[in-house]
Amino acid sequence: MSETMTTSRPATADVAERGNASKVIDRIGATILAIIAVCTVLLLSVPSLIVIAISFTETAYIGFPPQGFTFQWYADLFARDQIIDAAVTSLQISAATTCLSLALAIPAAYGLVRGRFFGRGFASALIVAPQMLPGMVIGVATLFFGAYIAFRQSNLMVILALTVFCLPFAVRMVMARLTQLDPALEEASLSMGASKTRTFFEITARQLVGAIIAGGAFVAIEAFDNLTVALFTASPRSRPLSVELYNLVQFDSSPMVAALSSLEILAAFVVMIVLAKAVGLDRLRT
Amino acid sequence: MAASLVDKVMKGGGFWPAAPAFLYLVVFFIMPMAVLLAFGFVPIQRGTVQSANFTLEYLFDVLTDDLFWRVWWRSFYVGVLSTFFCFLFAYPLAYIHTLVGRRLQMVILILTVAPLLTSALVRTYAWLVILGGRRGVVNAVLMDLGLVSRPLRMLYSDFAVIVGMVQIHLPFMILPLITVLSSRDRKLEHASLGLGASRVRTFFRIVLPMSMPGIIAGTTIVFALSYTNFIIPQLLGGGGYTTVAVQVYEFIVVILDWNKGAILALLLLVSCFLFVLMITLAGNRMMRWTEAKA
Repeated sequence: MSETMTTSRPATADVAERGNASKVIDRIGATILAIIAVCTVLLLSVPSLIVIAISFTETAYIGFPPQGFTFQWYADLFARDQIIDAAVTSLQISAATTCLSLALAIPAAYGLVRGRFFGRGFASALIVAPQMLPGMVIGVATLFFGAYIAFRQSNLMVILALTVFCLPFAVRMVMARLTQLDPALEEASLSMGASKTRTFFEITARQLVGAIIAGGAFVAIEAFDNLTVALFTASPRSRPLSVELYNLVQFDSSPMVAALSSLEILAAFVVMIVLAKAVGLDRLRT
Repeated sequence: MAASLVDKVMKGGGFWPAAPAFLYLVVFFIMPMAVLLAFGFVPIQRGTVQSANFTLEYLFDVLTDDLFWRVWWRSFYVGVLSTFFCFLFAYPLAYIHTLVGRRLQMVILILTVAPLLTSALVRTYAWLVILGGRRGVVNAVLMDLGLVSRPLRMLYSDFAVIVGMVQIHLPFMILPLITVLSSRDRKLEHASLGLGASRVRTFFRIVLPMSMPGIIAGTTIVFALSYTNFIIPQLLGGGGYTTVAVQVYEFIVVILDWNKGAILALLLLVSCFLFVLMITLAGNRMMRWTEAKA
């Protein structure tokens, strides 16, 4: 990587004028930078790879290096009703949260970008506010509010609280795309005689599809994985997968936990490849 | 009917497309937050309000408790150290991202975004495996190499918690830095190099100050996340390891003292906002200072 740095040196740089000392310092600086960057790359990737490796171990405990190769822990996983039920619960919560979030977020983003009304700045701030709060605070507040109005912890409570937590992601993604749209396209459609309804669905909405998919995917993943909100709002009788996994991590030391984690890592990887192909990776950055 | 609704939206018709979301947040966000606030100051038992008497008792109880301040101090330094090391590891990669070709840029971006799609719980679990006891990855490697004769005790310590926080929050630091660094104007750097400044000097005098907005964004996010995280301290810090966020969880879920849990959650939230504000103000001041110097 230090080579790339040398080649990117601009032609205007008068290398000859610079002393040997500063060249040595530059070399050292580039080396330190490259070493740290390599460490960061390893930090980002190696932990997940280790979990995947350990999920295939034949030993009954978690240990490194893994011994032998077996799918036993994956089989164990699918044999446990508790985990399958939790996964189904999480899928339901994720699907409902995504639908509710998008149904609220798309018109909200439209109103906030295109609308001109008193208090628009305040409304935008309110809608993105939950994102600045820790999930725990939203979970606790919903739990307390539920107790106050005699509404018990349930899947519905998880969905309602997670929608508050996820709404900002969805709104911001759709808003970002809306502000980039060329209004000339909509004007052209209208002036060519298309109705406003038709223009909305065929011109405006169609250009938002990428942002909606990206926003929806993020909400779906967050709602599926979320622990900090779910821990306070989920009923003890129907736990989502994240809460189940949380208990397993604390009290179960078998490689089955590694197998479950590996499946989540694999799923995340597949989702990312699909998203990158569908909407482009750059858009995921917002 | 539907057509007329769409018509109104198309006219750029004011507030009402945002009304459902707004209403939703009033009911399911503002009202719960108000209840949380109230529970910090009104006696409650088993989730029901005992009397409508406003009291500062819980607030004073917490603030005069030495234990609280010890626990708070831990939340604070864990947050600060995690943010610092996160920055230290994130910046070089974000900077190199702007120097390499498109293909490598893509690899760096995938490596950064992919962990965001896996749950933080799975990533915390990975550290249990890596740092854990005798058979943990680090100890297994160190002992195989003959560097240590007895397994090191790494798990259930500040070290484990901070390592976990740094690694798990890295993407939140890298992404804003990449955004700012890749849109930077490179003329200043070229000028600096052309005038004979070394690359190291150019980096510290031009590149680093110019990326201040990304540094502020990254550090505030990572600090807020580290300061309020209770999963990582619980799993990597072990049983006796408490931070303010861990206490909030314990008082509300385990001890069921909701008054104390509410007041702790409010203190956590308010102090977090204050620190984020301080980081932002300090960052802005540094930005102006470097601009004035340049």
